[in-house]
Amino acid sequence: MISEAFIPAVTSLGSLALILGIIIYFVSKKFYVAEDPMVTIINGILPGVNCGACAYPSCNQFAEELVRTKDTTMTCPVGGADLAAKLGESLGIEMAEPKPVTCAVICQGNSDNARASAEYVGIQDCWAAMQAFAGPKQCRHSCLGLGSCIAWCDFNAMRIENGLIVIDKDLCTGCGACVPACPTGVLVMQQKKAERIFIACNSHDRGADTKRACDAGCTACQKCVKVCPEEAIVIENFVARIIQEKCTACGKCLEVCPSKVNCIVLEKDMVKSTNAS
Amino acid sequence: MEPVKLKVSYAPFVRSKDSIESVMYNVALALFPATAMSVYYFGIPALLVTITAIASSVGFEWLTDKIRKKPDSCLDGSAVVTGLLLALNVPSSLPLWMVVVGSFVAIVVTKHLFGGLGFNIFNPALVARVFLLISFPVAMTSWAVPFAVDMQTAASPLGILKTDGMAALSNFSYMDALLGKTGGSLGETSVLALLFGAAWLFYKRYITISIPLSFIASTLAFTGIFYLIDPTTYASPLFHFLTGGLVLGAFFMATDMVTSPLSLRGQLLFGIGCGLLTAVIRLWGGYPEGVSFAILIMNSLVPLLDKWDLDEIKAKKQKSLTTA
Amino acid sequence: MKTFTIGGIHPPESKLTASKAIEKMPVPSEIVVSMSQHLGKPAKPLVKVGEEVKKGQRIGEADGFISAHVHAGTSGKVKSVKSVPHPGGNYSLSVTITTDGEDAWAEGLNTAPIDWKGLSKESIIERIKDAGIVGMGGAGFPSSVKLSPPPDKTIDTIILNGAECEPFLTADHRVMVESAEEVIKGLEIITSLFQGKAKPFIGIEANKPDAIAAMKKAAKGTGIEIVTLETKYPQGAEKQLINAITGRTIEEGQLPFDKGCLVHNIGTAVAIYDAVSCNRPLVERVLTVSGMEISSARNIRAVIGTRFSDIAAFSGGISEKTNQVITGGPMMGRSQFTLEVPITKTTSGILFINNAGLESSRERTCIRCGKCIDACPQGLEPWLLGNEAQFRRLDEAELYGLANCTECGSCTFVCPSKRELVHWIKYAKALVNNRKQRKTA
Repeated sequence: MISEAFIPAVTSLGSLALILGIIIYFVSKKFYVAEDPMVTIINGILPGVNCGACAYPSCNQFAEELVRTKDTTMTCPVGGADLAAKLGESLGIEMAEPKPVTCAVICQGNSDNARASAEYVGIQDCWAAMQAFAGPKQCRHSCLGLGSCIAWCDFNAMRIENGLIVIDKDLCTGCGACVPACPTGVLVMQQKKAERIFIACNSHDRGADTKRACDAGCTACQKCVKVCPEEAIVIENFVARIIQEKCTACGKCLEVCPSKVNCIVLEKDMVKSTNAS
Repeated sequence: MEPVKLKVSYAPFVRSKDSIESVMYNVALALFPATAMSVYYFGIPALLVTITAIASSVGFEWLTDKIRKKPDSCLDGSAVVTGLLLALNVPSSLPLWMVVVGSFVAIVVTKHLFGGLGFNIFNPALVARVFLLISFPVAMTSWAVPFAVDMQTAASPLGILKTDGMAALSNFSYMDALLGKTGGSLGETSVLALLFGAAWLFYKRYITISIPLSFIASTLAFTGIFYLIDPTTYASPLFHFLTGGLVLGAFFMATDMVTSPLSLRGQLLFGIGCGLLTAVIRLWGGYPEGVSFAILIMNSLVPLLDKWDLDEIKAKKQKSLTTA
Repeated sequence: MKTFTIGGIHPPESKLTASKAIEKMPVPSEIVVSMSQHLGKPAKPLVKVGEEVKKGQRIGEADGFISAHVHAGTSGKVKSVKSVPHPGGNYSLSVTITTDGEDAWAEGLNTAPIDWKGLSKESIIERIKDAGIVGMGGAGFPSSVKLSPPPDKTIDTIILNGAECEPFLTADHRVMVESAEEVIKGLEIITSLFQGKAKPFIGIEANKPDAIAAMKKAAKGTGIEIVTLETKYPQGAEKQLINAITGRTIEEGQLPFDKGCLVHNIGTAVAIYDAVSCNRPLVERVLTVSGMEISSARNIRAVIGTRFSDIAAFSGGISEKTNQVITGGPMMGRSQFTLEVPITKTTSGILFINNAGLESSRERTCIRCGKCIDACPQGLEPWLLGNEAQFRRLDEAELYGLANCTECGSCTFVCPSKRELVHWIKYAKALVNNRKQRKTA
């Protein structure tokens, strides 16, 4: 008979479902975690890549902290001004505008410019290579070109080209995760500007040694220092450095650099318009 | 002085001669006596099964490498060993297309779907054998008779024991079992030839004694207890040692590096587990032979056995950190 | 025969130069004296370009507690003071001296031997410090610091390390055969610093029977025990040597003196004898020049600062097949990127080899054979540390004993999958270090 087969099955499974349902109901009541609905909203606005650029380990923690403190100085460097405006709108406060930054490579030592030392055979990672010797290029301050930093970039903005790290300006959000990943320190964060000039050399060796190792090396010749009308260029530890706050991007220094490959670089950043909101 | 082109690498600058290839081809070499014996007993069909198994395994390895875009590993010997072990695990009368199916299961399903050599949880050849046994039970249990003229088949001693009991084994000869003159799969026959190969692996230090010893000892101990209780129903431990795939399994399958535990404690537990399961299946299970099932079940416990050791290391370290 | 309890491997010994007497290498026309020939901070250079220096003159002042003085290896004129390649694989501040060929000692140095037994403990340590003596086995820990352990530690065992377990190297071996007297006297000086409460041992691997015989003969009646050790790598590593001779185990984070032990190198003992009795600073050392690609492999006594290229020329030149030049032994040495590097106080050997394995070495996946576990003398799980390092799980790696690895290289040696285990471990250590520095900064 149908009832003989059906009834025990339906009743046993049905009662099992009922009991489990009741248990789940009580468990969910008992262990309910109160969460501010605002956190969920803020979380939805944030990029959600957990890059850590805001100094919080995850976007969620940033959201919780922001909702709790309503601290207007908290910024998400990745989202920039647009995101700050949206956050402010949701929370009903005026958020501080983040200063957009971007990653700059202060080395031009690609395979054409920099002279190689010995060939490196082994684990293809900059830190691993550094355990064996000073690196595959004669200049020990250069980009080693093995790309340890690439794994740290959450935005797919880095790649190795001709033995040198190249950053895709459009993809780089300025989160800064790559900076500590570089053993020689050729990655630095710089403020975005319509026109940004910086010295793309990291060599702290003396001029003659730098020149021997690389065609694009800064020999600390002082020519750019003398020509700069804003006194925005200083020599520090055998390498020139441009003080970005003072620099007006007049371009005079670009003309006097005597290096075979100009060690001063002009970058045109696409600064996002701030009146998007 | 003439300049030399220097290369920089990290120490050490001398390496041992051991490689995956040397390990694998030595295992293959160690299996050669057993293979030769089976070809001697079962003739051309055995040779064809062996060649088909090896060739198809290597072929599937090559194909998967191409699909997975991995560097070629088809000649690193692991596929050869898998193919050879598969051949030794099937009857010589098995249709060749089934052998190819077995190779596919071993190489593609068991090995590469789990990540390739080093990542597989189960022994590829054994999974293939069990797959074939479940899929084609008749073909997988029709054992050819040694020196058979036509395609004459017979049951294996363990099969006879399972179906007809002790009484049917009256004309069983231990000497024939030792030399392999019994029905069975290619590698289940000659214990002597297998031990000869295992000795080579010990000499080359590619296997350690812990797993085979604990495996065989626990099987013998367990079956021995029941033999002492009732010798008329249960076969002697010696019978269990000489028949079926115990020696092949203990020395060549359970010792597979990838699917066995790393520490001595883990290896002993692994071996004992294999032994007990083998004995239990043989004495009371539905199948006459339990070695493959036993090893596969224990294979699944290997990550747990390894984790046990590692957790102990971790706990010790954490303890020293908290006290410091 | 004694040996350490866990792990160990047997690499091919390749002691090509075991029976070759030490030859003195003439001073080259230019030497490069590095300011960092020791553990710790580099020394501060005391000379300027153009200055005349004498042999044995102090040209680098120890900077800090763990640092050592550096001396000119010969007389001449300072050519430059700048950063140049260093055999450690990087660059270091170095004084380049154009030699004048006179090899004239500075005043008051290299005197006739005096009876050191009349000297106080403090003045002995002062002389060792002034001579700039560091551990000559490889690490380069300043000997004067090592010989003044904290007062709460009692030293009851002093071990001279004559194991020389690295393949190819025979420098200590030849010193033991040729200068047994000095070795014994050096050890007696070290022992005297501990008021006779410490028992002196010399541990020598069984593959050097002539050294064992020579040392036994010289040690007769001195109370020094010569211990024959099994030939097994890394018998000469500090922790393993202590374990082999005393049975004690140095735990993670401990130093030998925590277990009442002090280990010195054979060469260091001779240098201590020279410094204390003859007031001779450490300006030359014995090293092995070997490998398959050098015309005449030999043991030489060379001035510290001699360039590798000069040594290669002195040893008959190298073949075109050379693709690696290594300082130290093949297990723990470093491969060089240029032949312009000089030897330092810690250079125990230079090997010119054709490493054919370089071309074919490609890391494969771990096949879980467990050989590295059996080989590791520290009882670690190298395969696991390698995996954790590869995926940068640093916390995990630290929990599995990353810091306890002595980087002996046994795991990489045995790995059939050719995994660069010790390199991965070193890599993880570097990342851990970097993380610590960033946290404190």
